[in-house]
Amino acid sequence: MRQTLFTLFVDRFMGRGAAAVTVPPLDGALKPNNDLEDLFNGIAAKAPDCIVDWQGVPIWSEGARLVSQSGVQTEFGSDITAIATSDCMIAVATLNEGLLLLDDHLAQITPNWSVPVKNVTALTFTAQNELWYCTGSETRAPDNWRRDFLEMNQLGHVGHANLATGHVRVIKSKLGYPAGLAPMPNGSIIFSEAWSSHLVEISPDGRTSRVVLDEIPGYPGRISPAQDSGYWLSIFAPRNPLIEFVLREPAYRKAMMREVAPEFWVAPNYFSGRLFNEPMQGGALKQMGILKPWAPTLSYGMVVRLDANCHPVRSFHSRAGGTRHGVTSTVEADGKLWMACRGGNEILSVDLGAEGIPA
Amino acid sequence: MKNPVIALHNVTKEFHGNPAVKNVSFELYSGEIHALLGENGAGKSTLTKMIAGVHEPTKGEVRYQDKTVNFSSPQDALENGIAMVFQETSLIPSLTVAQNLELGNEKFLSRLRGLYISAQQFLQSLSFEVDPTVQVSQLGAAQKQMVEIARAVRHNAKVIVFDEPTATLTPEEKYHFFKLVNRLKKEGVSIIFISHALEEALEISDRITILRDGEHVITDEVTAFDRNLIIQKMVGRNLTTELYGDEVRQARKARPAGKRVLSAQNLSMGSLVRNTSFSIFKGQVTGVFGLIGSGRTETFKIISGVVKRDVFHGGEVRLEGRPVRYRIPRPAILDGIVYVTEDRKVEGFFETKSIAENIYSGLIGADLNESAAISYAEMAALAKIWTERLNVKAIDNDSKMIELSGGNQQKVVLAKALVQRPKLIILDEPTRGVDVGAIAEIHAVINELADAGLPVVMISSYLPEILNLSDRILVSRLGRMVEEFSIADATEEKIMYAAVH
Repeated sequence: MRQTLFTLFVDRFMGRGAAAVTVPPLDGALKPNNDLEDLFNGIAAKAPDCIVDWQGVPIWSEGARLVSQSGVQTEFGSDITAIATSDCMIAVATLNEGLLLLDDHLAQITPNWSVPVKNVTALTFTAQNELWYCTGSETRAPDNWRRDFLEMNQLGHVGHANLATGHVRVIKSKLGYPAGLAPMPNGSIIFSEAWSSHLVEISPDGRTSRVVLDEIPGYPGRISPAQDSGYWLSIFAPRNPLIEFVLREPAYRKAMMREVAPEFWVAPNYFSGRLFNEPMQGGALKQMGILKPWAPTLSYGMVVRLDANCHPVRSFHSRAGGTRHGVTSTVEADGKLWMACRGGNEILSVDLGAEGIPA
Repeated sequence: MKNPVIALHNVTKEFHGNPAVKNVSFELYSGEIHALLGENGAGKSTLTKMIAGVHEPTKGEVRYQDKTVNFSSPQDALENGIAMVFQETSLIPSLTVAQNLELGNEKFLSRLRGLYISAQQFLQSLSFEVDPTVQVSQLGAAQKQMVEIARAVRHNAKVIVFDEPTATLTPEEKYHFFKLVNRLKKEGVSIIFISHALEEALEISDRITILRDGEHVITDEVTAFDRNLIIQKMVGRNLTTELYGDEVRQARKARPAGKRVLSAQNLSMGSLVRNTSFSIFKGQVTGVFGLIGSGRTETFKIISGVVKRDVFHGGEVRLEGRPVRYRIPRPAILDGIVYVTEDRKVEGFFETKSIAENIYSGLIGADLNESAAISYAEMAALAKIWTERLNVKAIDNDSKMIELSGGNQQKVVLAKALVQRPKLIILDEPTRGVDVGAIAEIHAVINELADAGLPVVMISSYLPEILNLSDRILVSRLGRMVEEFSIADATEEKIMYAAVH
């Protein structure tokens, strides 16, 4: 049915359609487990964000630094927001410097971009001279994503940069915080639209697009290809009815953003439960000292294995009360799946079984 | 040793030759609270209905106060001091609460004001917050239950049978109810308490009897039981038939889930379906288990447009990503959602029409008939295909439905659904009242459908059926899907535990 002001009003009144405070269920392949929580201790890292495979070993970003297991590789002027690697190049997006290109000795080879590229949330190389990027929001930088979320912006875009010429082209715009992308075997690009909780496939020219996975019970972030076929999807925060409800109350939302410090907002986050004066605590979460199984949570850890058709087949969870929340990025390297757990300040890894899926 | 108030000696009750209760002996002492537990269809209600004069035992003897009795009706039993509070309330909806309380004792001429005053005093003495002047049709389920209980108390019954009294009560009402039950006990009233809530049984009763498949399993003091033992006794089946054998189950691997076809989010309907959320995937049999009153049937009736969800904030149903809301079943059928009812006699077929006409009616309902006018040739051809495929046994396809056995009727109902070329098929109790041979054939059809890539939902109260057919099991409790199992980690005990907690 076509959305008109009248149908919007009726939906709001009846509590249906866009006004239904509903959240997709975590069932089927997404059935909750404690598999993230049960992993062995990982490598301590301070808010790791993006993890990629660089010459066979994982490297990740910690604030403005690029780090691997052997130590700090290089440092930039401001926080890194996305990384991508090819055989001989590494692309890094930062908060202030924009999109940078480094060669295999980590020396800058950034071309002159035809348009400045900023607020990048994800990057991926397709061919030797092709780089795709996601701009989460044209107005809010990636470190301010929670404000972008509460403003319910649809100001992101997916673009394409030619590395030889420096020519940058926006392929699809007016997106709700695209936060991850990966090339598909058929030449198309798959990207996640976090605020719409779905994955979209677009053709390289951007003319055709279709939703390949919708009703994700969280906010999907970066996507990394799995070695055999399929993808790993990081879901960096959960959807819950409380947040959906806050989104339905504009006056409350605006007052909250105006008057309350960001760490106390009722909004998804990479971590929760660290501050004693958070909005949800005590009796809302615990009963007789034990966390209620249904305790609402603003943060969650979830990594989903998708098959080649983008259907979920397996998932790893860290549930309410867990610590390994806010997994923002994954990569397969060295026979293992590596995960950057931003909320848990840890790089986690798990051995991949024979079928490319951990037991 | 005290003399029992009620004693049943080797009682058997058969319905059309099928025993619902087999050779059960049962004793109830005065001033005792006796909990009667068992799965759906274990024979609890039938047993108590024999005590309360609803059914007559086929074999055996019912003794009340040391005399063999044979009550002709519940009224007869009530006059003798045995009251039963039914699962389905037996109040008259168009009369007020006070009139209902007086029912059976009414004078030739009644003065309403006096009636209301005495009813008000009486209800207050029980701490029941019910307005005696309100019509019963205006009351909620819990309040109806309270009126029903009050009526039993008012008749000064010596024995009161409560059939799942607490299912519809809120915790506070439950508290009042338990206080009332304890007070009645002190006054020397004997109480039979049927419940699915095991904690309640453990908390309130003096003795517990467990029935299974119509047979007596165990009777003992409440101290001899704990929750796990009760569950084990309730489900621990020792019939290992070909159908439900363990070997069959262990050899089976779940079919992998396909694309998500249906997703229900926060679906609500009154107090029966409460904020339920779940998904259904292609190429799988999704088994839905729940006790009676857990809202499983209602949930799927909402999806197929038989009943409507709450108008305000009733949640969402998405069929292949598209939000749908059906007010009547026909658009749902046209979209490929087919619901096969659990109550086939009432909702499933036209009983005086023939097999062929019934199957053809399904085709017409889905707009799939080839000729604009009714074509007898098409009808006969269709009936031939489907009666052969499902092995419907009848003299010919012009036999009336009413002449068929339950199993054959169910096969025709299934055929009527399958001709509609479903994209999602919901089978509600597909083998209820069906003989063993037909069960095997219906199960084979269900497996065929899932193997062909269709999403199949099978609602069943019979645990072995759920375990042997489904690839994924959802458990419903109090109007909500509370647990999901894959076939690899499901056991009868785990499912039952999820369904009662």
